[in-house]
Amino acid sequence: MRILDNISLYFSLLKISLKEILIYRIDCIVGIISQLVVQLVSLIFIFVVFENTENIAGWNFQQILLLFGVTRIPIGIAGYCFDALYDIGPKYIRNGDFDKILLRPVHPLLSIIGDSRQFVSIADFFIGLAITIYMLIQLSIPITALLIIKIIFFSIIGALIVGAINTIFSISSFWTYRSNEVIWSFYRMYTFTEYPITIYNKFIRILITIILPFAFVSYYPTMAYLGLNNYIVYLSPIIAIILWIIAVKLWDLALNKYRSTGN
Amino acid sequence: MAIIEVKDLVKTYKIMEKKEGLIGYFKNLIKPKYREFDAIKGINFSIEEGELVGYIGENGAGKSTTIKILTGLLTPTSGSVSVNGIIPNKNRIENNKNIGAVFGQKTQLWWDLPVIESFSLIKKMYKIPENEYRKNLKRFTEILDLGELLEKQVKNLSLGQKMRCEIAATFLHNPKIVYLDEPTIGLDVFVKENIRKFIKDINKEKKTTVILTTHDLRDIEDVCNRIILLDKGQIIYDGDKQKFKDSYGKYVIAELIIKDKKKDIVLNDAEILEQFENKLKIKFRHDETTIVKIMDEISKFCNIEDIHMKEEELEDILKEIYKGAHKC
Repeated sequence: MRILDNISLYFSLLKISLKEILIYRIDCIVGIISQLVVQLVSLIFIFVVFENTENIAGWNFQQILLLFGVTRIPIGIAGYCFDALYDIGPKYIRNGDFDKILLRPVHPLLSIIGDSRQFVSIADFFIGLAITIYMLIQLSIPITALLIIKIIFFSIIGALIVGAINTIFSISSFWTYRSNEVIWSFYRMYTFTEYPITIYNKFIRILITIILPFAFVSYYPTMAYLGLNNYIVYLSPIIAIILWIIAVKLWDLALNKYRSTGN
Repeated sequence: MAIIEVKDLVKTYKIMEKKEGLIGYFKNLIKPKYREFDAIKGINFSIEEGELVGYIGENGAGKSTTIKILTGLLTPTSGSVSVNGIIPNKNRIENNKNIGAVFGQKTQLWWDLPVIESFSLIKKMYKIPENEYRKNLKRFTEILDLGELLEKQVKNLSLGQKMRCEIAATFLHNPKIVYLDEPTIGLDVFVKENIRKFIKDINKEKKTTVILTTHDLRDIEDVCNRIILLDKGQIIYDGDKQKFKDSYGKYVIAELIIKDKKKDIVLNDAEILEQFENKLKIKFRHDETTIVKIMDEISKFCNIEDIHMKEEELEDILKEIYKGAHKC
């Protein structure tokens, strides 16, 4: 029951953040355009690479683009839904607004995550969606109801994995105001999963499948959509749950430590 | 049983010792040295349901630290705290359901939204029953005159309007205990009175326990019936407000209108605060002398036309205490 209450509260907060986007229309448009430019640069890079080679680790141009598109969907969702984690150090704790969060009768993580409103990520999401659909057609993969359900499901799970990893690194907020940079530097490792992980050495492969399992955000789901490996992707919900349990436990521990030292 | 129980509460902070200069900075970086600082040095008090308590003291006396411990934002170094039967630092979220808090200028409302939407989010967060919410909203709108404000965005409100909404938001879920830390800072006199009236009315209606921290002692004068006075982390007075004034307000201030002053007035038993050609302001202890004796003395220098006397206000008494004139 408590979980249901929390989810309903989370969606109320999300609704509010959508309303606020409408209030800042111009900011929103400018943000989305700049995000489009950033994505365009990444795309150009892929084009350039394929002018020099036929495939990357056995993946052709369309497959790589599909992987790129599939990556952007959960990254877009996570960017929107978990953005406020970046603000814990530089905004909430620094301004003293963190106390206000601690006085609410809900878990502070829920309050903070509910305050997220990174609307530029909407651009990420739609670019990803468009490229994914276009490449599925190009690769003549039939877009069945089952495939759509899979894409929705694994995109949400992927976003949750990114969110959990961000939550773990947001713990640095209790020691430094510049925690946003700590989170950002680990979060950016998702870019590894924009290419087939077989191109990396053992260390990076272990890093992104086991330690910070970004490979489950888009690489393994794309393998499944392409019919290259159908089973390993089903580990991702379990990984998401485990990661969130670890994240919340560690976060609570750090919070207790923080409350005993004073601020 | 008391609603708030504080026993032998101690809070010690670790402060990094800052060394001077660039070399000092590097030394800090490599091997920081810490110094301990006792913000609260073993305090005890208990508060009954429905009490209106003024928690006062100078800056750095330990008021905010106490409030932060009572709300579970900080954990005590030693000693125990129980609020409504809950240990706040262990069951913070459970404790949050019973309490409300206003911390100075920090708003709990959502900046970009109309006030009413913040209220309905708070309703959802605290799971306030619909009829309870409607009833409170109607009542609060009436006392705090929120009518026109509810549809406005928080960022467009003036300081006074924002604080009125803030106070309403704090009481919306019928908290058993409310902590108000400087709720009237920077507000004009009408808003201050409005807020004080609200606190008193709600206290009467719902038996809400209120702990008020403020530097505006008229807040305390008007709202509270009990004072806890804190100095350097220790309680130096805890009890009835009127008794406090009776036992420590030993001074009387008198203003005299005089004429035909022959020379500068010098008095033995009274302190002269101001003296002009036709006006004199003095201060004396009513347990050492009487106004009759002093007037007798003054009449040697001039003729007295009129006299106006007033007792010391809370503010004057506290100033004396801080200066060390009184021993509590």
